[in-house]
Amino acid sequence: MNSERKRIITILIALCLGFVFLIGYLSYFQMFRAQAVRDNSYNKRLWINEDNILRGSITDRDGEVLVYSESVDGEAQRIYRYDNLYSHVIGYSLRDYGKSGLERKYNSYLVNANENTAINELINLINPTGVGNNLSLTIDHDLQTRTRELMSGKKGSAIAIDPNTGEILSMVSVPDFSVDALSENWTSVSENPDSPLLNRGIQGQYTPGSIFKILTALGVIRNGLPEAIYQCSGSTVIDGYTIRDFDESGHGPLNLEQAFAVSCNTYFVDQAVAMGHEQLREIAESLMFNDRIDFDLETSASIFPEASLGLTDLAASGIGQGRVLTTPLNMLMIVSAVANDGYMPMPHLVESIYTPSGMNIESHKTESRKVMDKGEAEALQRMMREVVASGTGTNAGINGVQVAGKTGTAENSSGNNHAWFVGFAPLEDPQVAVVVLLEEEGSSGGRAAAPIAREMISFAINRLSN
Amino acid sequence: MNERLKGKAPRKLLFLFEILSLSLIFLYSWEGIQTETYVIAVGLVLLIYFSNYLLGRISKGDSYIFLIVCMLISIGIIMIYRISPDLGLKQLMWLTFGIAMFFAAYFATRYISFWNRMTVLYLAASYLLFAATLIMGSRTHGAINWITIAGVSVQPAEITKIILVFLLAAFYGGDEKYRRIRNAELILMIVVYSFIGLLFLQRDLGTAVIFFGVFTGIQYIYSEDRRLIWANLGLAAAGGVAGYLLFDHVKVRVTTWLDPWPHINDKGYQITQSLFAISEGGFFGTGLGRGNPSFIPLSYNDFIFSAISEEMGIFTGIGVIMLFMLLVYRGFKIALRQENLFFRIVALGISMVFGIQAFIIIGGVMKVIPLTGLTLPFVSYGGTSVVTSFIALGILQGASEKRGKAGIVDE
Repeated sequence: MNSERKRIITILIALCLGFVFLIGYLSYFQMFRAQAVRDNSYNKRLWINEDNILRGSITDRDGEVLVYSESVDGEAQRIYRYDNLYSHVIGYSLRDYGKSGLERKYNSYLVNANENTAINELINLINPTGVGNNLSLTIDHDLQTRTRELMSGKKGSAIAIDPNTGEILSMVSVPDFSVDALSENWTSVSENPDSPLLNRGIQGQYTPGSIFKILTALGVIRNGLPEAIYQCSGSTVIDGYTIRDFDESGHGPLNLEQAFAVSCNTYFVDQAVAMGHEQLREIAESLMFNDRIDFDLETSASIFPEASLGLTDLAASGIGQGRVLTTPLNMLMIVSAVANDGYMPMPHLVESIYTPSGMNIESHKTESRKVMDKGEAEALQRMMREVVASGTGTNAGINGVQVAGKTGTAENSSGNNHAWFVGFAPLEDPQVAVVVLLEEEGSSGGRAAAPIAREMISFAINRLSN
Repeated sequence: MNERLKGKAPRKLLFLFEILSLSLIFLYSWEGIQTETYVIAVGLVLLIYFSNYLLGRISKGDSYIFLIVCMLISIGIIMIYRISPDLGLKQLMWLTFGIAMFFAAYFATRYISFWNRMTVLYLAASYLLFAATLIMGSRTHGAINWITIAGVSVQPAEITKIILVFLLAAFYGGDEKYRRIRNAELILMIVVYSFIGLLFLQRDLGTAVIFFGVFTGIQYIYSEDRRLIWANLGLAAAGGVAGYLLFDHVKVRVTTWLDPWPHINDKGYQITQSLFAISEGGFFGTGLGRGNPSFIPLSYNDFIFSAISEEMGIFTGIGVIMLFMLLVYRGFKIALRQENLFFRIVALGISMVFGIQAFIIIGGVMKVIPLTGLTLPFVSYGGTSVVTSFIALGILQGASEKRGKAGIVDE
């Protein structure tokens, strides 16, 4: 072969390699990069696609339809059947203001847009559905309705959970907003100083007050109960700073169980100081403080100060004051762990995802992690039972049901105390755990929050036993 | 085997493709079928059938390149019609005219023998066209590359591309007397670089790269002074860097190639819209009429490949790339078989123009290389592009026939 021919063939090979490279890159792009590009929010097709697709329905645990879409004159319309009731859980999907709640988190399932595999494309060619997948929630619609009624006129959050599985049975945050009217009221809702858009139960960070004593008590149990009986005089002096009890006359001689039942501040302050910052922090962090809770909705983390504290701050932390902040969901998970013999169930809202034809795509699997020993959990269960039987939480008591719980009355910068109650029932075989937070209620947890919790627990147990 | 028989099986496949894609067009516009739809359908089938039939009768040369191109124009016009029925009809008109020019160019190469002795004419015509563009040119999409003569807009650079091929072929394979001038090859290189410089001034970067590519390819094969090739490559690298530093419009291309996402609303708009379209299509496409190729600016023109990928899938996209690969392969095969040196170089040059142009624009719209505005030959909408591409193809058809030393076809 002469050199001219050789060179011609060299150039031909170079050009062909160029084309082969293009083919290779195009295939690579389609397989590994295309999905990310498609999901870019600037891609107008996302909205066009959604306009053509009927978003899937969302139902409660018994199949009650909460949200669905229907085609009105060829245009998809989202029908929020219970409007305000699910404004934080389900959220909204608005072209102008985006998405929130489950509408946002499960968007790709609801529009069935994330299955761009070759096989699915073929199936779609043959059987174009244009209808998204459906979600089945763990929510009990009746309990949700009841919880909302109980919270009306309040500011705060109430959540009920199955402590064995982590299924959220009801989740309410007030004030809430009308999803249907959100577009018209956007400015007034988004600028309202009471922040109705905030899901207080999972995003609000609050001073826990005495409900934090569950954690301090766990530390006391873990260190082996002190032999000596504590003498409560109504106040204790830490680092020259006097911390007083709610009842300044003093509780007299107390063991842990009794101190917990009457929520004695001086007892837990002294125990926290004896325990030290490191151990208290370790306990808090083992119970998801300073950690992001992996949930079906965006959560905020509870905060326990990481840097070493001065003695007064440490003392305050022991009774849930000072710089400690928590979310209602986090406290509910801790109570669930107590109820569940030391295993903390991961909370979830979505039970399963299924296609329009009813085929199950994904089911939630119960996950839990061990956060305390069975013995520790049982000790705490007994102590929490005492709170409701004879202590600060008697307002949560129900005839014939052994309710366990803990009250909290948290001082905060507003001057009006937060009222807390966390608890579960029945003691022997816990079916439901609840948290009630009344923000800046200006009353005690036992007086304001415990009755709401009682009604939720009683309603839930009736529902479940039927 | 008889050459004419060989073309028959692929021709049948081509018709099968025509019928399938036209039925898609009918399905797509079922609710509002207009006269245009019938015109397109009947017109396209008749045009392709008769031109193939005619070519089979008159040319003993290559029987594949025209078939390959028929496939490309079919994909192109169906996509264009789907984006805009008006443009689809106009494209059919341009294709008809283009195919007429294909035959004209074919006969001109077949019966005229002095093509290899017109070096000076090619030079003069090139500079004249550049001058006309600079003086009368109007700017579209950042490049000054259109002139309007008697109401018809033409892109002179498209014509200059073919003239460049003839100039190179005449220099290396025709007029011996010019090659005997001292430093003749160096002078040729300077001339080509002056073309490339003028294209830079017109901001027609894509065509500039084609000129460079074709020249470098031919120079690599035929230059006697191998040092010049290295000089050429070095100069090109230096020129590229200088262009990047000196011209903002070059800088913009590189920036939006490396990362277009921060500029999604302005200078990165085109390329990101193109990527959205390609990623939307997946492997099999959204289906004709079921995607949104009109979101891409110039979807019927520079970005036709992205539009095809969106609605027909990257399988069709890969098909288009392979058709160009086949076209280049056939073109090179024609060159290897051609005994006449001038026509050998012409065949190589034209094949390289097709190949490099397709590579640059397809690579550009999928962000493999910086995006430069070019049409996808035979597929994109556009009068000048279609007509000049068919002229080039006619010349390639002519170059595929057996010739004597004089260049006339041996009957």
